[in-house]
Amino acid sequence: MTDAFLVALGGVTEPYTLALMALATFAGIIAAAIPGFTITMAIVLTLPLTFAMPPMQGIAVMLSVYVGGLSGGLFSAALLGIPGTPSAVATTFDAFPMARNGQPGRALSLGLFASFVGSLISIVILIVAAPPLALLAVKLGPWEYFALIVFALTIIASLVGDSILRGLIAGLLGIGIATIGPDPLMARERFTFGYELLTAGIPFLVVLIGMYAMSQLLSELEPSSANQDGSRALVSGDMRPHLWSVMIGTLKKPFNILRSSLLGVFIGAVPGAGSSISNLVAYDQAKRASSHPETFGKGEAEGVVASEAGNSSTVGGSLIPLISLGIPGSPADAVLMAAIMVHGISVGPRLILDHPDLVYSMFIAMAVASVFMLVIGVVMMRAFMRLLNVPKYIVVPVVLACCAIGTYTLNNRVSDLYLLAAIGAFGYLLKKLDYPLAPLVLGVVLGPIAETNLRRAFQTSTDWTLFFTRPISALLLTLAVVSVAYSVYSYLRQRRLMAERAQAAQNRAFQDGASQE
Amino acid sequence: MARNDADAALQPWLQLVSYAVLAVGAVFMALKAGALPASRWEPMGAGTFPQLIFSSMAVLCVAAIALELLRRGFPRTRPGVAWRRLMALKPVLVNLGLFIAYMIAMPFAGFIAATFCYLLAAQLYLAPRRPLTLLVVVGVALLFSIGPYYLFADVFSIYLPRARW
Repeated sequence: MTDAFLVALGGVTEPYTLALMALATFAGIIAAAIPGFTITMAIVLTLPLTFAMPPMQGIAVMLSVYVGGLSGGLFSAALLGIPGTPSAVATTFDAFPMARNGQPGRALSLGLFASFVGSLISIVILIVAAPPLALLAVKLGPWEYFALIVFALTIIASLVGDSILRGLIAGLLGIGIATIGPDPLMARERFTFGYELLTAGIPFLVVLIGMYAMSQLLSELEPSSANQDGSRALVSGDMRPHLWSVMIGTLKKPFNILRSSLLGVFIGAVPGAGSSISNLVAYDQAKRASSHPETFGKGEAEGVVASEAGNSSTVGGSLIPLISLGIPGSPADAVLMAAIMVHGISVGPRLILDHPDLVYSMFIAMAVASVFMLVIGVVMMRAFMRLLNVPKYIVVPVVLACCAIGTYTLNNRVSDLYLLAAIGAFGYLLKKLDYPLAPLVLGVVLGPIAETNLRRAFQTSTDWTLFFTRPISALLLTLAVVSVAYSVYSYLRQRRLMAERAQAAQNRAFQDGASQE
Repeated sequence: MARNDADAALQPWLQLVSYAVLAVGAVFMALKAGALPASRWEPMGAGTFPQLIFSSMAVLCVAAIALELLRRGFPRTRPGVAWRRLMALKPVLVNLGLFIAYMIAMPFAGFIAATFCYLLAAQLYLAPRRPLTLLVVVGVALLFSIGPYYLFADVFSIYLPRARW
């Protein structure tokens, strides 16, 4: 155990690796700060650069982008009032007013320090929670694993998007896409229709790049979002970080940052619920718990701290199911999983037993990246302000070209480029039709795992009732049904409330009209 | 009012069409999966799981159609509305077209030439027409077409497609 830790520590703290990690953290911050460029996109585009690196170094670099990215949204949120990534929506509520009130430096320092503390708390929880969960997961049979994936997919479908039906359809579509090509157990060719392009299947990273990066970038060109450029108002004022006073001030109220971080870790650990949700929930909870909620939305420091601690702490939480169960909870984690697999390491509960040095290096890399994030963020505050103004006409085509590079370098296959164009166009169409894309992407990742476990279960015993009689499997399947039933119930309740409100408003208007007459 | 209704009905209408298309596709795939030969070594063949998935998808799509029709009735829209909304997406469609052309051209024209032309065309289409912008556009196109090629070739030993002429 100690040996593995020391190997990991030595690997991550190598000067060249540290330099690469610092660069990656910087790139992550920049990428997330540019509106329209998401963290997932940044991680996807980093992947091909890590192919030539040893696994430990590659993963450390990608985690640095992830950690940097989670705090990068803060810059555009505070300085432009636009969330750079969906995970910085609540940050705009207080960081932007604070910056507009002449304290941009303080707003950024508060956010950066909260992100730093949030990441560290999440790493501690990850270190404590992942190994025991992995040891438990090793004992799970194919029945439990299959049930776990069904549960994860129903949760993802019910959490993302407006319609659970479209979420479930998207999830199944993703699993369906993953069945194209050789089957995972016997490698029998399926649904290739004689096209050589499809014989190796559709690589999930191509689906991820096409669905997530391309569709998002194309949406940025729509007239409504393009108009945002004109409304950009750069703030001016005191750009000094005041880090010491910010640290003292934040740590004097430890409950706020602790509560927000714990919420972030918990939300991150639930598949499908990522930093965009934790950011809002942590902010909302801070406002409820505050003795002066009326100051929230007007530049309240606690609001900045809560929202940024909330989103940054999801990184540790989301790695819990990835490291211990081999199940990515978000598209960004799916890319990390792919990065590990590209190096020939299988991801699952045995990861921590077979490659403890790699898992320890992930923990250390995240902690180091958090320090880099704080230092780079504070030192380069002024520079970021200028970088935020890269116009969309440069960002969108350049990042699209980077998507093409990332896709080609995965397998050095030209046919993947055609797939990318087709999947990107299809992804954009689905996005316009309001289908959530996260369940689809995770369906592509989880589908083959589900199929393998389902078929293994039947190879072991043809008795299908085992799925319902084995306690953990039965519990997980029950939870899956409950999660779908609950989202249907909450949807119906919301609809009833809206109908009641509309009726009440109509009655009021009618009464007003009658009294005027 | 009528125009607003037709506008608002466009997306539900398109969603209904998408459910129908996905349902038909799912039924077709489920039938295809059923035609895959059974395995001698295991009770579930290669086709059983896809059949399960595509059948469930078809059922969900039909349920979505039924729910939508029960809830709101058949959404009525006009082709003119769809055309107007499609035209509003012109920057997206032009860029998507350019990107598809770029993907098709890359294996023949090579990475450097294809990327340079794509970046130049896409940026020129989107950027405001100013002399300084033109300089920036050409600079960015040169940097991001030649830069990645040599970065990947010299640092990572990964060769991006070369021209076939």
